[in-house]
Amino acid sequence: MKELVFAGFGGQGVLTSGLIVSDMAVRYGANATWIPSYGSAMRGGTANCTVKYGTRFIHNPSQEKPDVLMAMNQLSLLAFGKLVKENGAIFVSEMVDASVFERTDVKVYTIPCHEIADEIGHAKGANIVLTGAILHYLGDHTLEEGLSSMDIMFGKKGKTKYAQLNEMAMRRGYEYFEKLK
Amino acid sequence: MEKERKVPHFVDNPSNFCPGCGHGIVSRLVAECLEELGQDRNVIYTIGIGCSSNMSAGMKADRLHCCHGRASAVASGMKRVNPQNVIISYQGDGDAYSIGMGESMGTAYRNEKITMITINNTNYGMTGGQMSATTMPGQKTTTTVYGRDCSVTGNPFKFPELVASQFDVAYAARGSVDSVGNINRLKGYIKDALEAQIAGEGYSVVEVLIPCPTNWGMTPLESLDHIRNNIIPYYTLGVKKARGGKSV
Amino acid sequence: MAEMMKGNVAIGEAAIRAGVRFYAGYPITPSSEIMEYLSWRLGEVDDGVFVQLENEIASINMVVGAASCGVRAMTASSGNGISLMQEAMSVLADENLPVVIITMVRYGNGLATLYSSQTDYLRETRGGGHGDYRCFVLCPYTVQEAVDMVALAYELAEKYKMVSIIMAEGALGQMMEPVDLPAFLDVKRGEWGFDGTYTNAKLGYFDRNSMTEAEELRERYDLIKENEQRWDSTDVADADYVFMGFGLAGRSCLGAVEDLQAEGHKVGFIRPITAWPFPEKAFAEIGSNTKGVIVVETNAMGQMVEDVAMYMKKHGLQMPVYSLPYVYGVPVIQDIKDDFKKIVNNELKEVF
Repeated sequence: MKELVFAGFGGQGVLTSGLIVSDMAVRYGANATWIPSYGSAMRGGTANCTVKYGTRFIHNPSQEKPDVLMAMNQLSLLAFGKLVKENGAIFVSEMVDASVFERTDVKVYTIPCHEIADEIGHAKGANIVLTGAILHYLGDHTLEEGLSSMDIMFGKKGKTKYAQLNEMAMRRGYEYFEKLK
Repeated sequence: MEKERKVPHFVDNPSNFCPGCGHGIVSRLVAECLEELGQDRNVIYTIGIGCSSNMSAGMKADRLHCCHGRASAVASGMKRVNPQNVIISYQGDGDAYSIGMGESMGTAYRNEKITMITINNTNYGMTGGQMSATTMPGQKTTTTVYGRDCSVTGNPFKFPELVASQFDVAYAARGSVDSVGNINRLKGYIKDALEAQIAGEGYSVVEVLIPCPTNWGMTPLESLDHIRNNIIPYYTLGVKKARGGKSV
Repeated sequence: MAEMMKGNVAIGEAAIRAGVRFYAGYPITPSSEIMEYLSWRLGEVDDGVFVQLENEIASINMVVGAASCGVRAMTASSGNGISLMQEAMSVLADENLPVVIITMVRYGNGLATLYSSQTDYLRETRGGGHGDYRCFVLCPYTVQEAVDMVALAYELAEKYKMVSIIMAEGALGQMMEPVDLPAFLDVKRGEWGFDGTYTNAKLGYFDRNSMTEAEELRERYDLIKENEQRWDSTDVADADYVFMGFGLAGRSCLGAVEDLQAEGHKVGFIRPITAWPFPEKAFAEIGSNTKGVIVVETNAMGQMVEDVAMYMKKHGLQMPVYSLPYVYGVPVIQDIKDDFKKIVNNELKEVF
């Protein structure tokens, strides 16, 4: 089973990133849970969700020890970075200063997701760029599976307007990690 | 020519009301109207807590006793799922206006297609004569032993006027049982209210001033004089909102 | 293929499929998505009625009205909102009216918090309002189980003429997991419903016999206790320690039990599915060599642990009962394992 935490400011799309990953896992035969930040944080400026997926029954859908953290702001890196499993991975945007993060037993990847998103003319797609990079890191699904699953998911919600831009964002994130690793 | 006065079948039973109480007249008038409208076997009552509860024993019609003050909400639930039935919420002033102000207002506010009959005897009869929202200024009750002081209790509440002027209701009126003439007029109000419901026009309410000799400490005849001389000047009779949308 | 669905949305759709045609409610986190979903979904089905009311008191009383006409009626709320409904729930019990109420439990007293928890176990299992009555209390541990419980809750409510409560932690309503939705049931009116023709006469308020009604109620509840206990259990018979937990806390607890078994501990697990009737029959499996029963909950004091101790006494089980109340959230599996080791090492004392 893999555990991922997606965290950032409300509106940055971290909950959606979690949905993309959990939905994809289920679409390709795994079991998955998605649970949003819960409690007073629900009304605050930060948002996070926890996704777990695997072949077996998932016992605790909430945070325990994430394998992967996606942090789109400084606060999230500090709050959730300490929970990440040894030898786990943290993906941050270029807006996050990873140099202050002191743990050496986890790998921190800085993805210039905002820059890439701006480049392709999809400023709101930074979360999907990061998701593309994480998709590659996880290695459980191909890029094509990720793209197709994301399309179906957004299609069901009736959100097809950004389909091409979203695809491009995921692809660019995936490819960026390819070069990085 | 003599007119036959048959007691409507479903209220032709003994009731537990005090001697001189007006409840019996009102429940009979409602039953007569239902019979005349052909609705006497197409009616569901919601009954409030208070002296209205006494009505239940002698009444052979579909009815549900409701939490204190909430009968209008229950009636709304019935009407929403059984729009073909006539739904009557039968409540006292303490039930409908004091504890039930929220539900009564909410029901009128949404213009639910039910009819509320409120029996106003200016006190909590069943519990022994405490002050209610309609207790008259200066009236002595068991919780206003020196008379109601409106500077600390607020003023007697006028529900039909309020919903007629503020909400989009179908019909609102106030009647009284103090005289034959007023009883006849009251029957007209009740019939109008029920017809408004049957025609699907919306919420209708008829408030009725009745005597409460037991808790007023008066004879039945004194009670009727009290209604005429002291209560009607404050709680004026008549149609407050006519069918067809006119506030009166 | 099972689809990812949010718990509250899935419950809303399950209600439609179970034949619910009336919903009245008032918004409250973390249950609001149920009413948001039904606000438009009930409009898509024949005779569907949705009403947003001025408060929970009006909501439940409107549900009383709809249920009295034989319609499958529902409301949903949480902590404080369910508190406001208690008087009318007592009326539903008294009038033998079947209704299903969903509570997405949030932690805390007073104004409460938004945290997911199991803080209302005692209220729901004791009837909650004035008088002496009970409601079915069904406790799902997955979104799928919650969905499947909706029709079951109505079947039980209608069979025994009472209220069924589906009591889930707030987090279950907020989380998503794969769900297979049940089939659409035929929509029927209950034969007890009013239709204005006086075929379902109710006795007058002052004409009822409380003594015979109490006897009837006792007999009915005894029948329910005999026939309707539901639970899941695993490896109880030979266990040194038996864990108990319901809902998401139970789900996490099961994770801890599996881990501990993998580490060589002889532990078993009982998950109540009905909190009322309490699944005391599960205790028949507990062997005399068991050293203790450990109750995992998310509330402040431990609530179900009182039932566990009470029914263990009834079944002659003498071993100690331990309480692990994790207050709110979903208990972390590692925490349960750590606390288990404290119990084994006698660092944590029993409460009963």
